[in-house]
Amino acid sequence: MAKVLINQERAGVTERNRSKIRTAPSWLEALTPQLRGYTEECLGQYMGEIEEIRLRIGRPVLYRLGQQELTFDRDKKLTDRLEQGYVISRQELDRNLEILSQSSLYAWEDEFRNGYLTIPGGHRVGLAGRGVLDKGIIKTLKDISGLNYRISREVRGCADEIMPFVVCGGHIFHTLLVSPPQCGKTTLLRDMIRQLSDGMTKRSFMGVNVGLVDERSEIAGMYQGEPQFQIGLRTDVLDACPKAQGMIMLIRSMSPRVIATDEIGKAEDVEALYQALQAGVTVLTTVHGSSLLELRERPFLRELVNSKFFERIAVLSRRKGAGTLEAVYDGKTLERMR
Amino acid sequence: MYKLTGALCIIGGCGWAGLKVAGVYRRRAELLRCLQNGLSFLEAEISYGSTPLPLALRRVGEKLDKDSGALFTRAAQILCLNKGATASEAWEEGIKLLNGNIPLTAEELSILTMFGHGLGNSAREEQLKNIALVRQQLGMAEKKAAEARVKSEKMWQYLGFCLGGVIVLVFI
Repeated sequence: MAKVLINQERAGVTERNRSKIRTAPSWLEALTPQLRGYTEECLGQYMGEIEEIRLRIGRPVLYRLGQQELTFDRDKKLTDRLEQGYVISRQELDRNLEILSQSSLYAWEDEFRNGYLTIPGGHRVGLAGRGVLDKGIIKTLKDISGLNYRISREVRGCADEIMPFVVCGGHIFHTLLVSPPQCGKTTLLRDMIRQLSDGMTKRSFMGVNVGLVDERSEIAGMYQGEPQFQIGLRTDVLDACPKAQGMIMLIRSMSPRVIATDEIGKAEDVEALYQALQAGVTVLTTVHGSSLLELRERPFLRELVNSKFFERIAVLSRRKGAGTLEAVYDGKTLERMR
Repeated sequence: MYKLTGALCIIGGCGWAGLKVAGVYRRRAELLRCLQNGLSFLEAEISYGSTPLPLALRRVGEKLDKDSGALFTRAAQILCLNKGATASEAWEEGIKLLNGNIPLTAEELSILTMFGHGLGNSAREEQLKNIALVRQQLGMAEKKAAEARVKSEKMWQYLGFCLGGVIVLVFI
């Protein structure tokens, strides 16, 4: 087991993120003292690699590190034999929920309706439980039975590789990031936003105003009105706002040079993108997918690709770890640039 | 001369003790009224601001006087430490501090403790109902405390001095 863990070649393992998280694992404070202690004791040196922690009533606690799932047994030894893992009780899960919500479940009713909470540090905790319906719409969740701590990572400089394709001679291209889940598209988008907002001295690029519509509070990780990640000096955030409405609001109110948002896909999103185009605003956005071909098979996205809306389309994968830049296409000619 | 000084000391001491006991009756009634006000403030924070509990408790504590505010402020401090304490545990610590300053009856302590068990762990509507219920219970407790005050405050104010006088007479 330890051999597998100690394999330093595993994707996503870097000394940099390890030391970084060792100093500031803010998400630890959203666990019960007992679970916090066990996590520190058993996974102390791998803290920087934890991507998810899953707590489910009556089942073992699971830590996902890259492609691997681990737990700890009753002797507090790390193991990948999940059936031997430390089992989470109802009381323990309830206590976790109370701690991560700061004993303020009433203050997070909108978040419960959406199925997740954002905690200090910009990390997100997904919720599973019983839906309470009102006229067929989920009003809230009760009898919470599972929590999924998704540890966010900020990798400053991860967009260095893609920025030459996005910015050229002061012009910023409409850019679409295509990536399967868990491949680092949000992390990459966040760093692109930061670089566009702050400016890039090496590329003689002065920063521009960026409007960020962060529907799921993932990019800026807003917590009580403050971004938990570096998103740049000139970035305005519309947090927890529907993308389409948010983009139009930002264009009207904040006159951004660039609008950024995550995971487009609905008809109204496409409509909002065209409005941004008419307003002369550059769009940076992402979409779930693994290739350009796959994108061209989806109803609304096909229209965007065929109309050559995006000038740059970048495809990500996990081949060499999260955030691997597989290809960059010219959106007009669909020729591969990299 | 010594006798006179001694007698004055005894009467003064007993009188002071009597006044302290009488003061407890007065302060307890005032405290219960202030706690109801505090719960009204908390209700407003939850209802209109959806303010997270640590901040809401701190704000309520700042609005109240020292005695009653201690409960809210102490609970807020414990929650802000991020050491994994639940609202119920933090509230109980606040009650201990409160009870240390002004002794409360078992019934009053029970009302406050029960309230702590439901604090922050349900939806807004339930929180508001819980607050309204506890405020009502505290209102009833305040009435009882006021009655007890009418009965006993004056008595203890005089009783201390009288007791001192009796002791002095016995020794003379």
